[in-house]
Amino acid sequence: MKHPMLKYMKETGPCGDRLPTILCPGCGAGQVLNYTLHAVDQIIKEDKIAKERFLFISGIGCSSRLTTHYLNFDSAWTLHGRAPAVATGALLANPEFKIILFTGDGDVGAIGGNHFIHVCRRNLDMTILCMNNALYGMTGGQVAPTTPRGDYTTTTPYGNVENSFVLCKLAEVAGASYVARWTTAHPQQAIRSIKHGIRKKGTSFIEILSQCPVHAKKSAVEILRSYKTKTVKAKNAEKGDNRIPIGEFLDIEQPEWFESFQKIIDSFASEERKDQNE
Amino acid sequence: MSNSHMLRPGSYYFQGNEACIEGAIMAGSRVYAGYPITPATEVMEAAARRFPQVGGRFIQMEDEISSACLLIGASWGGAKALTGTSSPGFSLMQEAISFGIISETPFVIVDVQRPGPGQGYITSGQEDVMQARWGHHGEGSLIALAPSSVQEMFDFTILAFNYAEQWRTPVILLADETVGHMRKRLKIPPLGEINIVNRKKPQEMGIRPEDYLPFGGSEVPLMANWGEGYNVNVVGLVHQPDGHVTRYSPELDYQCIDRKLRKIEDNVDKIAKIDTRFMADIEHLIICYGTPSRTALEAVMEAREEKGVPIGYLRLITLWPFPEGMLRKLIPQVDTIFVPEMNLGMMMHPIREALRDKAKRFVSIPSMGTLHSPDLILSKIYEELRK
Amino acid sequence: MKRYEIRIAGFGGQGVVTIGRILGTTISMYEGKNSVNTQSYGPESRGGACRSEVVISDGEIFYPRVRMADILVALSQVALDTYIADLKKGGILIVDPGAVESVPDRKDITIFRVPTMEIAQKVGGVKFQNMIALGALSTQMDWVSQASFERGISEGVPSKTITVNLEAFRKGREYGKNQSEKRKG
Repeated sequence: MKHPMLKYMKETGPCGDRLPTILCPGCGAGQVLNYTLHAVDQIIKEDKIAKERFLFISGIGCSSRLTTHYLNFDSAWTLHGRAPAVATGALLANPEFKIILFTGDGDVGAIGGNHFIHVCRRNLDMTILCMNNALYGMTGGQVAPTTPRGDYTTTTPYGNVENSFVLCKLAEVAGASYVARWTTAHPQQAIRSIKHGIRKKGTSFIEILSQCPVHAKKSAVEILRSYKTKTVKAKNAEKGDNRIPIGEFLDIEQPEWFESFQKIIDSFASEERKDQNE
Repeated sequence: MSNSHMLRPGSYYFQGNEACIEGAIMAGSRVYAGYPITPATEVMEAAARRFPQVGGRFIQMEDEISSACLLIGASWGGAKALTGTSSPGFSLMQEAISFGIISETPFVIVDVQRPGPGQGYITSGQEDVMQARWGHHGEGSLIALAPSSVQEMFDFTILAFNYAEQWRTPVILLADETVGHMRKRLKIPPLGEINIVNRKKPQEMGIRPEDYLPFGGSEVPLMANWGEGYNVNVVGLVHQPDGHVTRYSPELDYQCIDRKLRKIEDNVDKIAKIDTRFMADIEHLIICYGTPSRTALEAVMEAREEKGVPIGYLRLITLWPFPEGMLRKLIPQVDTIFVPEMNLGMMMHPIREALRDKAKRFVSIPSMGTLHSPDLILSKIYEELRK
Repeated sequence: MKRYEIRIAGFGGQGVVTIGRILGTTISMYEGKNSVNTQSYGPESRGGACRSEVVISDGEIFYPRVRMADILVALSQVALDTYIADLKKGGILIVDPGAVESVPDRKDITIFRVPTMEIAQKVGGVKFQNMIALGALSTQMDWVSQASFERGISEGVPSKTITVNLEAFRKGREYGKNQSEKRKG
């Protein structure tokens, strides 16, 4: 029996099989890909949006490996941290694209931080899916801006002495319209959230805590369990609760970039019509 | 595409930087992204005013890095896109240029050069001419043009887009502060008289999505855009013709990258443009490019008229790919080759390498931070001739 | 006309670049001659040396900058000191005596002292000194019509300021004409 999302993936290519993915056993990124494809599938069916309108763009990192190589969609596997800029370019060429950015906590929180801030500030219409494993996985497990204080990584062999970036708060303050955090252990909520984010006009930032069993040196099952026990729905959290808040943190309506800019373009077009009528 | 705000054919008094944007609009460009930097800011401000008027989109990005990366997305999204910057910003764009080369993405970068290195200053320079060719990490080539007038800022921007589309490559317009800020009458021809080249698409050749090779199939691969049902995968790793990046091997690497290099370098005779004057019976030659060509021409004419010096004039309009073969055909045996540059001698290197046996002496005429005056070039010529 | 070279120099903020641009536009667009206008200035918006040059020709212009000026307009001492040596024999110097302490002793040029800052105060403020200077300069270029100059000004300044700029230009032109008359008489 075939996995229902395989229809969106490249099973084989001229150079042999593309599946299974290169992801390590137990990696959370595969789950996020699955949830995303479910969300996209539902939108295609329910909203009758053409598959051609979807565009997957990624940066560099394990999470970013999931686009061009495996997906049967238009896609780009770009530069470390620069996916938001490439996505902005695609939208400037054609605002009809439904763009999903696959990125990781290092890609979007370190080298890509500035571009991430400004996409949110501009409230450009795209959905940023950040797979947060709180370290740099592809290169062997170095500390990332999201690594908790005190954690041991290959570049913090004596413990991390820095604060951990709360990317959701950054997205909110920078100006995004929809901000949410889930984990790979919350499939239904994640799918609903991603669907909402794609449908919503403006910048949607969805952080998914995603396990890297290899570098966390724990089993995937252990980490998934902790995603259930060490998180709390934000609206249920009481003061002093140290668990990680999850849920939808922000969902507002505000002007989206292209809607605003289009008014400027239209003002010149209507000038033209005035001239022609005179 | 709104046409009523496109400039009607005629004469206009424009600054070079502004003329560049009018050229871009004529070529069909409708996406501009940039970041302010002296002396290129006027390019961006002209785009901010003009692009929305013609139905295009303009965005000021948070830095030059994202400005250049944006061009990649815009190009694959179907648009002709450009950015304008100066030398320090050009350094930041090398990463995107590198990606543009391996992914064979057409876009245009206008570099209004200023002195360097570092912040240097805000006047004129030609210190990026090597960076344009060799600044991106990795192999691969690209095309670079050197305008010397307001008219050429217009004409060569159109040519840059044509080359970008025809050869599926980033193209650099190497201007400088003098030509960027210079004002002169610009002649805009009727749109129908302007030659505009667009990327060749697989749809035009009847090639179906399942058979389409984004990085193969011909010397310059056909280019489908996102949103056309071709499932186009744009990648930056060494790849197969279909974009597949697994099964790396040194053989694959060589084939993949060598084709991209040859695509430009083997076609130098089709791409390179050279202007020559007074080449008959010469004993000396000036080889120049960009704005100093104007001074060089003034100096050559004066040396010939007033002192009877048998000196010729050769201007490189395209700097890269470097037209070694063409130069060797055009240039006879001479005594001295003079190369005026607004740097300490950069194009002198490929010139000397290509023409080593064609001249007894190669003499650099540097001018840092400002355009050469005719007296500077003439005094150097007369000084060398006295030896 | 083979090459006619005009250089205007002063401080940033005096409007040197503006009048160079208007001069270039006027000649290129309304007088049918070729002209190239270049300028150089420092990064400061105010202060700092500033220079605008216009090279005019009936034919093609190659070297776009001034080699030896036919006319030099100097609105500061530094500008005058820097560029006086590059003014041709028989050339014209227009200088604001209020801005310079000493004018170099050159017998081979014609010197017009035009108090641009003083006259500008009567029109609307010292910021119009550049138009006074342009007015005075225009009297030395009788091969360009007043109508052309005024069209260049009208199209080269913000629409709300056209009237006052034209008034300043005319005052400068009037002063320049009087100076010329005095010399002849």
